[in-house]
Amino acid sequence: MTPRRNIRSKSSIKVLQVIMVFLCLVVIARIFQLQIIDHDTYKPLSDQNSLRQQDVNAARGLIYDRNKVLLVDNEPIFSITITPANFDENSIPLLSELLSLDEEVILEQVEKARKFSWYRSSRLFTDVDILTFSKIQENIYRLPGIGYQLESKRNYPTDLYASHIFGYLREADDKDFNRIEALKLGDKIGKSGLELFYEDSLRGDTGKDFIRVNALGQSLGALSGVYEDIPPQKGSDIVTTIDHDLQILAEDLMIGKKGAIVAMDPNDGSILAMVSSPQYDVRKLSGRIDFDYWVAINSDTTTPLYNRAVSSLQPPGSTFKPVMGLVGLELGLVTPETKIYNSGAYIRGRAYKDLADVGDYTLETAITHSSNTYFFDLMNRIAKSGKLNEWQKLIEDFGLGVENNIDLPSETRGLVPDSTKLDQIFGKRKWSLGDIINLGIGQGIISASPLQIAVMTSTIVNGGNKIQPHLVRSIIDPFGNEKELQFQSKPIEWINEEHISVIKKGMRGVVTTGGGRYYANHPDIPISGKTGTAQNPHGMDHGWFTSFAPFDDPQIVVTVLVENGGYGSISAAPIASLIIEKYLSGEVSRNYVYNYVKTFKPREEDNELNE
Amino acid sequence: MNNIRDLSWVTIFIWFCLTVIGLFAIYSATQGPVSQFLPDYIQANFYKQLIFVAVSVVVIITVLFISPRNFQEGSYIFYGVGIVLMIITLIFGNEINGAKSWLKLGPFSFQTSEIMKFATILAAANYLTSRRDISAENIRSALVATLIIVIPMILVVMQNDFGTALIFITLIPVMLFWSGLPNGISLFIVSPAIIGYMAVLEWYWGVLAALLCTGIIFFIQRRRWLTFLSFFSGLALVAGVQLAFTQLLQPHQVARIKVFTNPSYDPTGAGWNVIQAKTAIGSGGLTGKGFLQGTQTQLKFLPEQWTDFIYCVIGEEFGFVGSALVVILFLALFIRLLNLAGSHKHPFAQLVIVSVTCVYFAHFFINVGSAVSLLPVIGIPLPFVSYGGSAFLTNTLMLAVCINMDFYKRQFSIYR
Repeated sequence: MTPRRNIRSKSSIKVLQVIMVFLCLVVIARIFQLQIIDHDTYKPLSDQNSLRQQDVNAARGLIYDRNKVLLVDNEPIFSITITPANFDENSIPLLSELLSLDEEVILEQVEKARKFSWYRSSRLFTDVDILTFSKIQENIYRLPGIGYQLESKRNYPTDLYASHIFGYLREADDKDFNRIEALKLGDKIGKSGLELFYEDSLRGDTGKDFIRVNALGQSLGALSGVYEDIPPQKGSDIVTTIDHDLQILAEDLMIGKKGAIVAMDPNDGSILAMVSSPQYDVRKLSGRIDFDYWVAINSDTTTPLYNRAVSSLQPPGSTFKPVMGLVGLELGLVTPETKIYNSGAYIRGRAYKDLADVGDYTLETAITHSSNTYFFDLMNRIAKSGKLNEWQKLIEDFGLGVENNIDLPSETRGLVPDSTKLDQIFGKRKWSLGDIINLGIGQGIISASPLQIAVMTSTIVNGGNKIQPHLVRSIIDPFGNEKELQFQSKPIEWINEEHISVIKKGMRGVVTTGGGRYYANHPDIPISGKTGTAQNPHGMDHGWFTSFAPFDDPQIVVTVLVENGGYGSISAAPIASLIIEKYLSGEVSRNYVYNYVKTFKPREEDNELNE
Repeated sequence: MNNIRDLSWVTIFIWFCLTVIGLFAIYSATQGPVSQFLPDYIQANFYKQLIFVAVSVVVIITVLFISPRNFQEGSYIFYGVGIVLMIITLIFGNEINGAKSWLKLGPFSFQTSEIMKFATILAAANYLTSRRDISAENIRSALVATLIIVIPMILVVMQNDFGTALIFITLIPVMLFWSGLPNGISLFIVSPAIIGYMAVLEWYWGVLAALLCTGIIFFIQRRRWLTFLSFFSGLALVAGVQLAFTQLLQPHQVARIKVFTNPSYDPTGAGWNVIQAKTAIGSGGLTGKGFLQGTQTQLKFLPEQWTDFIYCVIGEEFGFVGSALVVILFLALFIRLLNLAGSHKHPFAQLVIVSVTCVYFAHFFINVGSAVSLLPVIGIPLPFVSYGGSAFLTNTLMLAVCINMDFYKRQFSIYR
């Protein structure tokens, strides 16, 4: 029996040994595969496991006024972030308790983050208060996938609104993500104003800190040696051409009114002040957006988000007369000496009313007293001589009917029609002289923004040099190097100095003896300008005033539009004169004008055409 | 008295090497930079293990002075005491990690199922070697031996420790095979494990394994009923696995089972351990990241890295060189022990040594297989390497008994 058992055990031992050797070889093959063949797969996995990149947000560039007064800077805020892949839904109740928010609200935010990316960190909530923030910080080890970061929001240290100049920031949307790779969900980018136009300069480069974490996601501090942290690159600062004090006054004067102001240096096109009223409060759109406020300003019928200064389209009314006169002289249809008789109405098929005193008018006096007849007749001559398209080209040289490339979004072109345009509007050859004659006094199928009227005025008073309007003078890069921006100005070749002088004299007369003499005249500052009224089929007419000063060496052009203000001479002119006075003398001395503007109420009976 | 040179010094040397490697790994896993994330009682594990090693040296020396006859004669008493202890544990025991297998004795907790493994081996070996050889005609003693093994196994399952239960199950085919169970029937007993494993991977692998097993069984046994039984039960098993996966089990349960083949089934749940374990081992490369330098280990990405996942610590910090060395040491131990069994004249000693070897092997293969994701994650310690007093002492005790039997092999037969 024993030998049999022995043979049996000998072979059994062999069987067991072979099985064990085989299985051990399987194990060795497996570890060879993992450690040698697939090492390149697992090595980075292990590195990433313990390595977390933490984004360090770059400070957005600051915004200064022309005298380097700080207008916009940043204020620190706290944000809660999430990496959905590591997030455990079971921690939602805890999160809801710590944040004092409904679980549904949190789940909704989580879903949003998941939709963006499972592996990139997104902001869950921004601008949380310090108490909530510290509660999250204390409990972070119980909240897998949840993180926090210090960020900043826009802060406006002065009393300025300037909402339409600065613009607001909002969270980037899908379109932005496609355009700018560096953006993460919850990143804010400029959506209007300078914040939008200079987004690429203002937004810095996000930095990266490499930190070690353990399996619980707890930070173990900085990682030195292997990976260098990438410090964030602060955004560039921008120096605007805005004059802080002037802007404050301009905003103050427009409170309670609808309309716009553009104050500009006619010599280089730099904008000194720009107001669109009503304004919105850009502070309420900074940091965590006040959603009710956002809805309110979006549904407000007075459209506070709309920048009337560059986007509004209104018939220029009589403010169009100076450029009309210049073009008439250039086309040789009138001379400075040409006299045209006003009988109280201009009769061409029908009667076009003229409220100016009956009598003879030269170009200069026609501008001063705003005689419609003179310009109806001039427009008639243009049409009769078949020079409508030539007229349109010359008008465009002053920045009307074209874009002026200001550094703000949503600038309008306005409209100055040529025959093709009229064909489009009325049908081929369906338009008549009556449709054209009104163009002579800036009414009918013609429109311009306040900015365009300001550019037009500047181009006349600076001696025929069409400037490019702009709000930013220079950009200071993160290393402190200031770079002046270059702007194009286009001299009008055909301009005649003597003709300009006639026009300017006419505009000076407006303030000394014409419609502007009550509120626009200043004893020491030779202000000149042109009033205007834009016909408004939907309600009271809009008042215009475009002006410049001093007369001999213009330093400032101010264009004011008061919607539904009636005559420009009583609604817009006083505002413009106060801004000129402030800019040239540094103060407002005519308190009666200031009080008049502040208490101004348009009167229905003033609402009649002719200025 | 025997010559001290006849002692199996090779076996003792392998034991020493594995123990020292284990101490380094446990030190790294509990005392390294990772210690800042670990509670004090876990950090203390390294020092506790040092004490167990010291105690186990005493155990080895003590065992060498015991006559091997006592192991056979005392085996039933040992088994009975073990069963009683197991029941006491089940009633009064402490629960650690969900398993109620610890009995508290003063400051020490003892895992009774560990020592029960050895008691079961001794009792079953004693029973089997006192009977006639098992054959196709004498299946009764096979059933009794199976019962001896299954009773403690059920108690272990009741303690909620499935890993250890698996070890008991592996004893059945090994001990019966050794005691004369025909090769074909032995293979038939083992075949469900092979077919099941393959069926979990892919159903067609399962079919292939079933056909292969049936073929081999037919080839070595040539009994029609067995061949048919094997064929149909194999296919039934594959169909059952497939049915369970597609109809009976919830998707997340399927994910938990299949996760070892592809951790992305459940990357943050059951797959987490698999991914982290593979990452730790894979990132070790040829020579490893260095002692105390493994980021997976030191940043605590591995669960239970001082016990069930200790092989990952070795793989990460000592690389392929270290982890292959561990496999080779174990293989050397297995072959050495089986050779000792083969050179022994006494059937009881032979069966005990073979069974102990197979217990070591099952521990080794399941532990390492889990770590390198050849197998689903089943939490059992790696002999001599993992932290754990009961396991270390029991494993050393079993080894000491094997050495003892080998040492006294000439006298042993006389006492029979």
